[in-house]
Amino acid sequence: MLTIEITVNGTYQQIQTAPNRSLLDLLRDDLGLTGVKDACGQEGECGACTVLLDGKLVNSCLVLAAQADGREVTTIEGLQQLERLHPIQQAFVEAGAVQCGYCTPGAILSAYDLLMHTPHPSDEQIREALSGNLCRCTGYTKMVAAVHHAEKELSHAS
Amino acid sequence: MPPETITIGKSEARKDGWTKASGQALYVGDIPIKHVCIGAVLRSPHHHARILAIDPSPAQMIPGVVAVITAKDIPGEKIHGPLVQDQPVLAMDIVRHMGEPIALVVTEDKTAAEKALAAIQVEYEPLPAVFDAEKALQPGAPQVHPGGNLLCEYDVSDGDLQEGFSQAEVILEETFQVPRISPAYLEAESSLAYFDEDGTLTVVVSSQKPFDDRHHIAMTCGLQDEQVRVKSAVVGGAFGGKEDSELHILAGLAAWITKRPVRFLNNRWESFLAHPKRHPATLHYKLGAKADGTLIALEALVHMDTGAYASYGPAVGGLLTEMVQGAYHIPNLRVLTRVVYTNSPYSGAMRGFGSPQAHFATESMLDILASRLAMDPLELRRKNILQPEDHFFTRVQVGDTARSLPLILAHADQARQRLRQLPAAPGKQSGVGFALSLQSMGLGHRVPDDSTNRLEWSPEGRLIVYLGSPELGQGMQTAVEQIAAETLGIPYQIVDTIDVDSRISPNGGVTCASRMTYLLGNSVILAAHKLTEETLNYAARTLNLPRAKLEYRLGQVILPDGRQMPVSEFCGRAAEDGIVLGASATFSFPYPAERTPEHLPIGMPHMMHAFGANVVRVEVDPELGTVEVKDMVAIHDVGRVINRAGVEGQVEGGAVMAMGYALYEDVCLKENQRWVDSFTEYLIPTARDIPENIEVILLELPELSGPFGVKGIAEMGLVPVAPAIANAVFEAVGVRARELPITPEKIALSLVEG
Repeated sequence: MLTIEITVNGTYQQIQTAPNRSLLDLLRDDLGLTGVKDACGQEGECGACTVLLDGKLVNSCLVLAAQADGREVTTIEGLQQLERLHPIQQAFVEAGAVQCGYCTPGAILSAYDLLMHTPHPSDEQIREALSGNLCRCTGYTKMVAAVHHAEKELSHAS
Repeated sequence: MPPETITIGKSEARKDGWTKASGQALYVGDIPIKHVCIGAVLRSPHHHARILAIDPSPAQMIPGVVAVITAKDIPGEKIHGPLVQDQPVLAMDIVRHMGEPIALVVTEDKTAAEKALAAIQVEYEPLPAVFDAEKALQPGAPQVHPGGNLLCEYDVSDGDLQEGFSQAEVILEETFQVPRISPAYLEAESSLAYFDEDGTLTVVVSSQKPFDDRHHIAMTCGLQDEQVRVKSAVVGGAFGGKEDSELHILAGLAAWITKRPVRFLNNRWESFLAHPKRHPATLHYKLGAKADGTLIALEALVHMDTGAYASYGPAVGGLLTEMVQGAYHIPNLRVLTRVVYTNSPYSGAMRGFGSPQAHFATESMLDILASRLAMDPLELRRKNILQPEDHFFTRVQVGDTARSLPLILAHADQARQRLRQLPAAPGKQSGVGFALSLQSMGLGHRVPDDSTNRLEWSPEGRLIVYLGSPELGQGMQTAVEQIAAETLGIPYQIVDTIDVDSRISPNGGVTCASRMTYLLGNSVILAAHKLTEETLNYAARTLNLPRAKLEYRLGQVILPDGRQMPVSEFCGRAAEDGIVLGASATFSFPYPAERTPEHLPIGMPHMMHAFGANVVRVEVDPELGTVEVKDMVAIHDVGRVINRAGVEGQVEGGAVMAMGYALYEDVCLKENQRWVDSFTEYLIPTARDIPENIEVILLELPELSGPFGVKGIAEMGLVPVAPAIANAVFEAVGVRARELPITPEKIALSLVEG
C-alpha cells in the first residue's frame, strides 16, 4: 500500500491505495464518485471515465492512482456549482443530447475542455473533441448542438 | 396545423437529464450498498466441449471467497430461455459457445474473485464446432443440441411463384451477407441482488423486462414469483440486448445461495461473448420483373445463425421473413427462412429485429434491378410501392399507413437532387443512394401484448405515473409524461414517474418492439379518464354536490356556479382522509378482425407498420476504398410527434448505429479462433464519423388507434441506412457491396479486380 495526496474536486485528501490500481478504481470505489464510468473494461477505448488531471483531459482507467499523487482531479461531480448545473451540463439536457446518460459525464468533460481552450469551436472541432467519447444512443448530433448552445451561454456569461 | 397543445410536440427536457448530466444517476454499478460481494462468472474458453469434471475446491480455499456455485447447487430450474427452454443457467455436461457460464464465484473483493476464477479446475473434452448456419445443416455437421441444428423454419408464400417467374422478362439472382453485430450499449449487463428490509430477495436490474426477469430468477431459486422483488435501476442503453435474463438469474441465484448481497458487472468482453447480438444471415434472392420495372416474383432463401441458444431467434426469424417484402407490392412471393443453431455466441433481439437484414438485401436488390433495366431506382420504387388496399404476403392488410409512401418518395427525390449537386472533395468520388423501409410495431397477431400503468395524484397535487415498463434511455418516460399531462390538461413539469419496482408497479410489459409510446400512451390516457372520474366523485362527496353538476378541466374542478377549485385542494383533503386518488388501466394491442383474414401463413404476423426512407451522400476514396458518409436525410412517418427532440434523437441515433452496421462492425471469428470481443477491434461510429449534415424530416400521418396519432419510431431510423449507403457506394465507384460491413479492403479489391 502507498499513500497519495490528491485534490479531488477542490478537496485535498490523503488516501491509502495499492500501487497497481487505476485512478478510475480509486475515484469510483474509494471516493464514491460514480459519475466516472467504465464502459470498455479499462482499455482506454470508450472515454466514459474521462476526468481532468491538472486541467488536462485523461482516461482515468489509463492513469495509475499513484500517478495522481500531488495532483488535482476534476470529475463530473466537480463541474456543477452547488445545486446549479454548469452551463454545459444544462445545454446537454436542454438540447436532447442525453439519452441513456452513461457516456454523458465523459462527453461533458470533453466539451468543457474544448470550450476552455476554444471558446468558439467549429462543428468539426466539436466532433474531434468528442471523438474519444463513445455514445451508442444519440448519433452525436444533439451533442454537437449542445456544445454550440453552451458556447453561447458561456460567452454571454463572460 | 395541428391544434394548440399544452405539451405534445414540444421538446420538453427529460426529467432524468439533471441526474445524468451531473453524474448522480445510479446505474446498477453505482448503487451504494454496504458489504456487497463481488460476483464473477467462470466462462467457457472452448467453442464446444464436454465437461468431464468441475472441481471448485481449490477456489474455495482462497481467503475472501464466500462461495463457488456450480449447476448442482441450483435449487430450482437449471434451464431457462425466453422462448425456448434450451439454455443452462450454468453449464452442466457441455458448453456450446465460448463465454458460456460454468460457475460463479462470490467473493469479498476483486482480487479474490480473480484468483478464485483461476483456481476452479474444469476438465474439458473439446468437440468439433460449427460457426456457419448453412454448414450446420449439412449431414455430419457437429450437433449443437440433441434435437438437431435447425431451430425453426418459416416458409411463407403468396401467389404462384412459378407463374410469376414465367411472366418475368428479367430474372436476377444474388446472395447477400450481413454480419453479427453487438448492441454495444455503453453500460454492459449488470445486476445487483440483496435482501431488502423485510428479507425479500431483491434484484436490481438493468433490463428491458424486470417482471420476466423476476419469473426466471424465481424459477431458478425454486421460489414463487411473489417471493422475489425486482427493481429497475437507471439503464445505460439496451437496444434489444437487455431482453435476456441471464445475468439477473445468476445474481439472484448467488444471493439466494449465499444470503449475501452480490453485484455482477459484465466486463465488455463478456458482453460480446455471452449476451445476444444481431443475427448474421445469408440471404439468397431470385427476383423477377417486367421490362418496365414491375416486380412480379421474388423467392428468398434465408439462413440465420442464432448461435448456441435460441434466445429470441425464432421471433427474429419470423419478423425477418415478414420484412423481406419491404415497402413493395410483389404478387408472387415466397420466403423460406431457417434459424440455425451453431457454436457462435448467441444472437437474439436487437433494434430492428430482423428488419435490417431483410432490408439490406431487398433494397440492394432493387437498385441492382434498376441498374439492369437502366431505370431510375426511385422510379422503380414508385412503380411498385404498396397501396392502402394491398395486403402484405402475410395476408395482413396494409392500410392507411401506406399513404405516407408517395410523400416519402417525394421528399427522398428532393433530397437526392439536392445532395447530387454537392461536389466531392479532391481525390474522392461522390455518390448518392437511398432506400425505403418498412418497420412493424408490436409483438404480432395474438401474442399477448398488454400494458398496465397507474396514475395517482400526490397529496400536493402532482401527478405520479407508476410506469410498468423500464425506461432504457430512449425517452419513452418523457413521452408518456407528456401524454399524461396533455390528457389531464396539466403542465408537464408537475408529472413525476416512479421507476419499476415489482412491489408497487403494475406490469407494463417488456420495453421493446417500437410499441411503448403507443401502448403506454394509450394505457395512460385510459387511466387519466378513470382518474378524472374518480377525482370528480371524490369532489362531489366532499362538497356534498351531485357528481353530474361537476366538471373537470385543465387541473380544475368546475363547480355549478362556474367557480374553479384546483385538483390539489382535493388531493390534500383526500390524503388527510387516508384516500389515494388513483387509477390503473390496461391497454391491449388491437388486432382488428377486418384487417386480419382467417388464413395466416405466418402464425403471428405484425399488424401495424410505418414507412420511411434514408438518403445519403458518400465520398469514396478510390485508392484506399474508404467510405465517408457526408450527408444524410432521414424521412420517417411517425404518426404524431410527442417530443420533437426525442424523436429526432431516436432517428439520428438509429441512423448512426446503422452506419456502424454498414461500414465497420462485425463480431467475427479471428484467425486465432477467438471472437472479436473488445472496442479495440470492434469499432462503433464516433463523433468524427458522423455525416456533416443530418436532416430529419418527420411526417405525421396519424395512426388512428394511437395516442394522439402516434406510431412507433424506436427502430425505423436504423432500417434503411445500410442499403442506402451500399447504393450510394455503387453510384460513387460502381462497386456493388453484397456483404456488410463495406470495408475499405472489399472496395479496393473490387476496384482492382474491375
